[in-house]
Amino acid sequence: MEYIIEALKGAFNLIVTLDPEVKTVVGTSLHLSLTSTFIAAVIGTPIGILITKVDFRGKHFLNTILNTLLSLPTVVLGLLVFSFISRRGILGEWGMLFTMRGIIIGQVLLILPIIIALVRNAIHDVDEKMYRTAISLGATGTQQFRLLLSEARYGIIGALVTGFGRVIGEVGVSMMLGGNIKGYTRTITTAIAMETNKGRFSFGMALGIILLTISFIINYIIYYFQSGEIR
Amino acid sequence: MKNIILEANNIRKKYDKEHVLNIDNVKIYESSFNFLIGPNGSGKTTLLNILSLVDTDFKGEILYKSQPVTRENFDILNLRRKFSVIWQNPYLFKGTVASNIALPLKLRNIKEEEIETRVKSTARQLDIENLLNKKSDELSGGEMQKTSIARSLITDPEILFVDEPNISLDYQSTRYFNKLFLELIEEGITILLITHDLYQINNFAEYITILNDGKVEKSGSDIDLDF
Repeated sequence: MEYIIEALKGAFNLIVTLDPEVKTVVGTSLHLSLTSTFIAAVIGTPIGILITKVDFRGKHFLNTILNTLLSLPTVVLGLLVFSFISRRGILGEWGMLFTMRGIIIGQVLLILPIIIALVRNAIHDVDEKMYRTAISLGATGTQQFRLLLSEARYGIIGALVTGFGRVIGEVGVSMMLGGNIKGYTRTITTAIAMETNKGRFSFGMALGIILLTISFIINYIIYYFQSGEIR
Repeated sequence: MKNIILEANNIRKKYDKEHVLNIDNVKIYESSFNFLIGPNGSGKTTLLNILSLVDTDFKGEILYKSQPVTRENFDILNLRRKFSVIWQNPYLFKGTVASNIALPLKLRNIKEEEIETRVKSTARQLDIENLLNKKSDELSGGEMQKTSIARSLITDPEILFVDEPNISLDYQSTRYFNKLFLELIEEGITILLITHDLYQINNFAEYITILNDGKVEKSGSDIDLDF
């Protein structure tokens, strides 16, 4: 018990004194997660809307694939991307393995199905009466689209926050594609795994507390977006 | 006989390969209380959607002031903006009552100051000033309907399409809106009302179209039809 209390004291000390190594790891994680979420949002949001609003052959099959990909293990995805970007892979000459770009590609692929599926649900949940009301009020095509986005905004933002939550806490993709290089591709989760193994329990604990705090904030935001209001 | 403001000829509408509307001719008279009546499922709301240009997926011809409504003759969006619809089950957008009433004006890019003034005066006219800051998802059925009526009237429409508004209104409100509709007609607005309310039909109808099974069974003035 004493051991844990000592580790916790050390962890809080690292956080309060803004330890440079902790700052770098947290900064790298936030940078990677925000970038991945942004790219996945730009690609996934329009696809989610299109899947809901446009009828096409194979739509049911695509939705089933999407739902399956929601629970894709991060190490499996990491392995898949690794096979493409490793030196012997077809994208090997681009030199993306063990770089930030490599991690971002993996993370984008990880959360793309999540964002597409949750945006699809958010658009699907908008009452059909909204469309005829918008037309009858004199909305142009662009205005109708904006109204649709506005009506689905809580669901869409919830989707993006969920995607961010998934990447900030994942370890498989970052470890396999980033290589856990200190000061470069070391993220909160990979650092926790490695530093704890090395016996730096306080350091791992400090990062764990920060990750838990970020996770709490994310869940707090998701809860209010899902309930449809921010107070 | 008043002028015809809107006319529909040879309207055919299908759902799942089955004709739901097969209408030879319907006339809407200017500055009058036009009624569209008929049993449930007779195609009243479908016809209202077509006449109000909300639904453009049909075969046939619509004439506005004797001119065929085509892209060559009209800017369809601007023409649609001369009409307003009050739905049986209104949809209110997320936000406050004020933002909902203001929406049609915002869509027309009207200045904020003017929007504010018109929202207040319309809310005053409908006696819902106390609701302006209330969120749309906190309203009762009657309050929602009143908000949707205010939203439809704020643009000063030339034709007001009304689809059975009484369902969510209490007796007092129904009486109030009957009076309001009569005042609007005196101001020159044309109203097309779908209703089952015999009191409204007997007392206010000037022109009546009776639909049955997607077809016009009878149409004419209240005197012709002996209402």
